[in-house]
Amino acid sequence: MASFLKILLRNVLQGPSTDPFPAGETFTPPRLRGKVKLDPERCMGCRICYHTCSAGAINITQHQDGSGYDFTVWHNSCCLCANCRLYCPTKAITLTDNWHSAHEQTEKYTQVEQHFVPFVPCTTCGQPIRPLPADMAKRIYAHDPDVDPEIVRHLCPKCRLLEDAKKHMSPIVKAESASADKEKVADAAPKAATKAAPEKKTTKQT
Amino acid sequence: MSDFLKKLSVRSPWLFRINAGSCNGCDVELATTAFIPRYDVERLGCRYCGSPRHADIVLITGPLTARVKDKVLRVWEEIPNPKITVAVGICAVTCGVFRDGYSIKGPIDRYLPVDVNVPGCPPRPQAIMEAVLIAKKLWMQKLGVEE
Repeated sequence: MASFLKILLRNVLQGPSTDPFPAGETFTPPRLRGKVKLDPERCMGCRICYHTCSAGAINITQHQDGSGYDFTVWHNSCCLCANCRLYCPTKAITLTDNWHSAHEQTEKYTQVEQHFVPFVPCTTCGQPIRPLPADMAKRIYAHDPDVDPEIVRHLCPKCRLLEDAKKHMSPIVKAESASADKEKVADAAPKAATKAAPEKKTTKQT
Repeated sequence: MSDFLKKLSVRSPWLFRINAGSCNGCDVELATTAFIPRYDVERLGCRYCGSPRHADIVLITGPLTARVKDKVLRVWEEIPNPKITVAVGICAVTCGVFRDGYSIKGPIDRYLPVDVNVPGCPPRPQAIMEAVLIAKKLWMQKLGVEE
């Protein structure tokens, strides 16, 4: 009797433990893994999410006219393992806390997160690339005050190498390339840099 | 009188669970919705029953493995019409991580007319309750009764 009264008293003090969910609000734990979301501004199209997705829910395909790529997550296949979030180098993929996944059969194939991610031309050579996210470029080039991350992040990998080579070439090569510049104004920059690249190695050895 | 009975019966669609080769994760969540007072699916008038012949809403978990395929279809046939089929978990909806496996015959909607999907691995108890609510609504539409 006493134990029953104890339980009764506890329940009266605590109130009902039932969640009033369908009628009222429910709780969502802060680190709940819900539907996958992509920030197309940050996505670089490296396809690591496609490779690590355990359920094969992510698909990345080239757009028909080559102006970008289509990123698709099918929520109905996603097992919410968050591998994509873990491996995404630019932190473009996040998991929301949206767990409202129930839907009718007619909506089965519309449960997708789809984005068209356009390519941006490289500022030097015009090759279509995805620019680095600004904060990431800032972090990578933080140790080098000579580099302007805002310029570098819009260059393609090749032009970035050339840019770096130009910065480190010896004064002699610089003078040579300057004279070469005068001779051939139109096509100077890449040639000078290709000349500079092997020179750079020799200067380092000496 | 039959109208009156109809009105009464729609207040309590009974649930039946079929495990079509599931890892038991979704089944645990289904049990959670039923037996833990915090979620308590019986508030909606739903109740898990032991026999498919008493069921109105059938919840199927798992990717429909080759071994259980015929048994699942046989049990599903035994449920009286009108019935609502709910696919619980990504395995039942699309086969999820087991897709294209050698022993996988699913997804479920290849063989059965699924009405409601609730993806997740496993889905939250609240998400399952949402699915049951949708299923209840569809079931009433099938019966021709408005809430």
